[in-house]
Amino acid sequence: MKEVYIAGVAMADVGRHVLDPHELGARVCAEALRDAGLFPREVEGIATTPHGYMADFRRFPSQRMAEYLGIAAGFMMDVDSGGNSSSAAVQAACDRIRLGRIRSCLVFAAQKEIPKKEVQKDVVGHFHLIKAANSLYDSYQAAYGVISPLPFYAMAVQRYMHKYGVTPEDVARVAVLLREHALRHPQAAYREPLTVEEVLSSPLVSPPIHRLESSEMHDGAAAVVLVSEELVKDRSRAVRVAAVAEAHDPTNFVPYRGEIDEFPCVERAADAALAESGYRVEDVDVAEVYGAFAGLELIMYERLGFFPRGEAPTAVREGRTTHGGEVLLNPSGGRLSLGHPAYVTPLLEITEVVRQLRGEAGERQRPGAAVGLVHTEQGFINGSIVMVLDRVA
Amino acid sequence: MDTRPYMQDRAAEEFFSRLAEGKFQSTRCAACGAAHYPPRVVCPECLGEDLEWFDLPREGTLLAFTWQEAAMRCRKPDVLGLVELEGIGNVFTRIDAAYEDLRIGQRVIFDAWTSPDGLVLHQFRPLEGG
Ligand SMILES: [Zn+2]
Repeated sequence: MKEVYIAGVAMADVGRHVLDPHELGARVCAEALRDAGLFPREVEGIATTPHGYMADFRRFPSQRMAEYLGIAAGFMMDVDSGGNSSSAAVQAACDRIRLGRIRSCLVFAAQKEIPKKEVQKDVVGHFHLIKAANSLYDSYQAAYGVISPLPFYAMAVQRYMHKYGVTPEDVARVAVLLREHALRHPQAAYREPLTVEEVLSSPLVSPPIHRLESSEMHDGAAAVVLVSEELVKDRSRAVRVAAVAEAHDPTNFVPYRGEIDEFPCVERAADAALAESGYRVEDVDVAEVYGAFAGLELIMYERLGFFPRGEAPTAVREGRTTHGGEVLLNPSGGRLSLGHPAYVTPLLEITEVVRQLRGEAGERQRPGAAVGLVHTEQGFINGSIVMVLDRVA
Repeated sequence: MDTRPYMQDRAAEEFFSRLAEGKFQSTRCAACGAAHYPPRVVCPECLGEDLEWFDLPREGTLLAFTWQEAAMRCRKPDVLGLVELEGIGNVFTRIDAAYEDLRIGQRVIFDAWTSPDGLVLHQFRPLEGG
């Protein structure tokens, strides 16, 4: 099996964009290829995701981009598995490269949402999209009008807080810490300081989740260039994919059996990825974690193995997850403060970890970062993908 | 605008039409006896297709509860919750009580609820002294 390297990364600012997602995508693809020192004619694979949740999706976006950039691909894939889409695309590309079927692959995602305000202004005109959002859930969940997984996440956070005696301040503190991280990130969507009091006085969107503990669906774009060893142009900046692993639970949004705050797939994916990489969780210097809500962020830290169950709130309070701590978690600002274009998010996470491992993360650099971890999820954390990345030189 | 939820299979259609008759039921496999919730058209245990409807327990335990802001049928301050039916599984449902009056672990009982758009759904309300 061949080794896979990440040779190029690029991301657009997270927030609201006026450009068509195709142009947004083309621009980050070009930037990632320049970063890798590759021309489109050297690219042998291309994969992407849909360009939005609240959007009329245009199909075959990979083919459109292959034509636009002039890529004669030996691998092409449009992936839609929610939050895992772009990491599933990366994983598929890694497998193709490992098998020697292709030597390089461009994975990109560009997302542009119809703003909530526009939907609210013309509910009838957007009703097909609202209906599509509702039919994402099975009949027994959809019947109650659910159009977002927010109530499920709220109940998971409620149970987690109940079981481990976690306080509202413990949860709010995560949102504050992620904002502190984002203050060091020039491309983050949110860059104003935040306090625990502000978080707790923001409206409840689905109790116990406050508005400022909840991620917004943003616009954004990012691209990652994966290559086999012979196409690594600059070894000093190459980052190796040490392992990728995937695990799913037999659930579709809220589990009909057992606990709702445990998300076993996260632990299974993390254990498998770490075992394959040869590293222990203690070896990880920096990680990007897919926590779409502050409370979930705490649960994910525990399920990934960074802390025992119920102990993430203490770790956050003691500064063990930030600069100078034992592991730097979500230096980008995470989903809450970097912003969360869900289809793009896994590539934003990879971009951050690659920048950290290259020593190019500027003000938010963890000195000497050598081993990184990326976690992504889909649905109501019904499935997870975990990647372990390391520095070559 | 057609606000009715889509029905993913005939088991869902049957489930909701039985609810409209006051029956809170799901499927059980005639071959292996496995009880399913939600109902199926095929038994995941033995892949048998000979399924019968049985009465679900009407009392359960409140695992968690919340409300949602914007939604198609239940909106703030309608409470949504997850009720554990012993030996069966978790039912996602409306809860007929104020959010402030609920607590995790409370005993709750089945009730039928007609939504503003005329759909009969299940809801649970706290048992006295539960
Ligand atoms: Zn059976």
